[in-house]
Amino acid sequence: MERQQIVKMRGIMKSFPGVKALDDVKLDLYSGEVLALLGENGAGKSTLMKVLSGVYMRDSGEVEIFGRKIEQDWNTTKAQEAGVAIIHQELNMCRHMSVAENIFLGREIIKNGQLDNKAMNEETAGILAQLGMDIDPRTVVGDLQVSKQQMVEIAKALSKDAKILIMDEPTSALTSKEIDELFAIIRKLRQEGKGIIYISHRLEELKHIVDRVTIMRDGRYITEMEFDESRMDEIIAHMVGREIKEKFPRVFCEKGEKILEVKHLNAGRLVRDISFDVYAGEIVGVAGLMGAGRTETTRAIFGVDPKESGEVFIDGKKVSIHSPVDSIKAGLVLVPEDRKKDGLCTRLSIRDNISLPNLDILCNRWGTVNKKAEGEMSKKAVENLKIKLPNTEVDAGSLSGGNQQKVVVGKWLARNSRVVIFDEPTRGIDVAAKVEIYNLMNNLKQQGIGVLFVSSEMPEVMGMSDRIIVMCDGKITGELFHDNATQDRILTFATRFENKLEQ
Amino acid sequence: MDSKESVFKRIMAIRGMGQVVTVTCGLIVLCLVFGVINPMFFTYRNIANLLRQIAPTLLTGVGQSFVLITGNIDLSIGSVVGMSCMISATLMTKGVNPWVAVIITMVVCIVMGVLNGVLVAQCKLPPFIATLGTMTVGRGIAQIVNGNYNTDSIGEGAKFFRTVFYSGKIAGIFTAFWIAVIVWLIFNWLLSRTRVGRHIYAVGSNIDAAKLSGVNILKTVIVVYLVSAVCAGITGLIICASTGTGTMDAGTSYEMYAVAASVIGGVSTLGGQGILLGTVVGAFIWGVLQNGLQFAGAPVAIRNIVIGVIVVVSVLLDVIVRSGKMKPRKRG
Repeated sequence: MERQQIVKMRGIMKSFPGVKALDDVKLDLYSGEVLALLGENGAGKSTLMKVLSGVYMRDSGEVEIFGRKIEQDWNTTKAQEAGVAIIHQELNMCRHMSVAENIFLGREIIKNGQLDNKAMNEETAGILAQLGMDIDPRTVVGDLQVSKQQMVEIAKALSKDAKILIMDEPTSALTSKEIDELFAIIRKLRQEGKGIIYISHRLEELKHIVDRVTIMRDGRYITEMEFDESRMDEIIAHMVGREIKEKFPRVFCEKGEKILEVKHLNAGRLVRDISFDVYAGEIVGVAGLMGAGRTETTRAIFGVDPKESGEVFIDGKKVSIHSPVDSIKAGLVLVPEDRKKDGLCTRLSIRDNISLPNLDILCNRWGTVNKKAEGEMSKKAVENLKIKLPNTEVDAGSLSGGNQQKVVVGKWLARNSRVVIFDEPTRGIDVAAKVEIYNLMNNLKQQGIGVLFVSSEMPEVMGMSDRIIVMCDGKITGELFHDNATQDRILTFATRFENKLEQ
Repeated sequence: MDSKESVFKRIMAIRGMGQVVTVTCGLIVLCLVFGVINPMFFTYRNIANLLRQIAPTLLTGVGQSFVLITGNIDLSIGSVVGMSCMISATLMTKGVNPWVAVIITMVVCIVMGVLNGVLVAQCKLPPFIATLGTMTVGRGIAQIVNGNYNTDSIGEGAKFFRTVFYSGKIAGIFTAFWIAVIVWLIFNWLLSRTRVGRHIYAVGSNIDAAKLSGVNILKTVIVVYLVSAVCAGITGLIICASTGTGTMDAGTSYEMYAVAASVIGGVSTLGGQGILLGTVVGAFIWGVLQNGLQFAGAPVAIRNIVIGVIVVVSVLLDVIVRSGKMKPRKRG
């Protein structure tokens, strides 16, 4: 089959309020090839693919598919008609419905005014057999394993005659055998002349299927090259390759006593045998890629998700934490990733938010809130943290992101907590506010409070932490001290997946 | 032997049948218990009455099931029943031909259903709020059509209307029940055999996946509220025919009875799951409990308590079974 260019993207720009997600990006895809689209979290890979598949509208730039110029009013329906199919990371299936029903959803076969289930089941069986998938078309999708569901999604795309397949992290939930099956299908599709864009953080997988790579970083196109395993280091360097621009206000403290110790913690697939400790006077960073299990680990420690096994010690004493209440009582608190959803009651006042977890302190024995103590507590928190607000009665949701984050921290500091876990505290806030959050962490560190700092932004983890724990696939894969931590090293640990494939 | 077994297997392979079979077993036990307590339970007279009593719950249950399968809810059912009852009765007492009255009534009900669908799917109102609004409006209309009075008797001219919708008998069974059966057959076909039925399940199962597959969400949601309103409208006509007058508070709380029938029969309030056969069994359990407890001399209060408990327990069982299925507990 002749190799022809099927996708050509040039000068793609896409902005979201306050963020330039794509800045002059280009991408080429040829028939009969597997192109790996590589980059760190937030490099713009998914955004670019959403532009291609019509989910997002591009601000400017040119797209050609099969040599045909794509107009600005590109949408998902048109993309599907043109043969572009995207297989999402989170599966898009109706789990109550059968395989055949899902594959034919929206374009059911009708005979005599009613559904022709027989024909649809037969045709589905044909498609599945072609792909070498051993699945009964009448099985309910929710009853299938995740890997099989993914296969069904691929089958659905192909049944719509897709010629350009975008796969976003397709192997993250699969076992080695299933990955083998998936790769066999990908190779088959490649032979048939389809173009496949493959997004994965598992660099060690690439050598099995990938022909070419395109690398992005910070919303920009960096380079493209033929894939060659021996150039892996070069690829990683391109992916990371950024200087640390922002300044991080590091302070040095004497390392004190051990405050928090976690031993052999297990909680589901993404928290496996986690052991680490935090000392007074240090910030411990937790680095890793999306889906490495960092948030899950913090949730398990804090008691939001159930623990399967493992022990937690605070100040040398074993504590049993079955719920956030236990954790808060023990002096271990969490500043969650999604502050609007998990951190604040955005429609309550700042005073209410700060007193909420401290009502046990603020109430007398009849359960009446001591208004005076409450007012003092919120006033103190606002002063200590320099929260900028008109008064403590305004809605927490009306504050800026950085100040909201301070309120979340403030409510915990009001009760003399021992360990504060920050999960992505600087996400979505501006640089100035970030620096204030950093200063806040430093303050805690100086006060001898243990700080655990989870972040996807490598520069800030490196800039702020005294010690960095790197996670991958639910396990701790490495530990680095700040003076010997480099982005390459962290990324190497962060992509150290269990080798699921035979070499 | 062989062919019998395969037929059984084929029936059991229909999705949601498992739950229906379980509930049916419960229904049989219930009937046997009431039969033992009171030998009159299994008489022709009682069974004919029972079927006639069940018709409104069955009809409104079918409508509510459609809405629930898309993951929404319709609180306006009871008011639409009342509206239908009052509009048709008022028109007939004013001397309008009963069939013209029926057509006008159904048109008004259909408008109400479409309005619900548009409010939910187009205006993106939460279904609970949207239909709470139309519920109140609907009841208001029921009160206003005859100047805030119940109507007089719909009169001699409407005798045939009453025979057709309520008191006539075919094969020894009252027409009210036959109407429910016919409506059920039509809508069951719509839900299980047609494209729009398939889309109803898809919308309830995963609305994003449905949208990305090209399903017209607005149309699908309007259809379910339309079906619900049509069912409620017919129920109103049956009630009008049964009493021979229009009563303003006809159908009060029917939306909740309809939820009960659907849920007992295995329709998930979270959407995507359930079959109309389950709703039939749910409606029967409802009717048998009412009838049987009445026979056993239980006062209305006790009946309410028993039925309330059964609704909660049947959903609770479902939740427990499902959560067990989703998260298989490994070790401790």
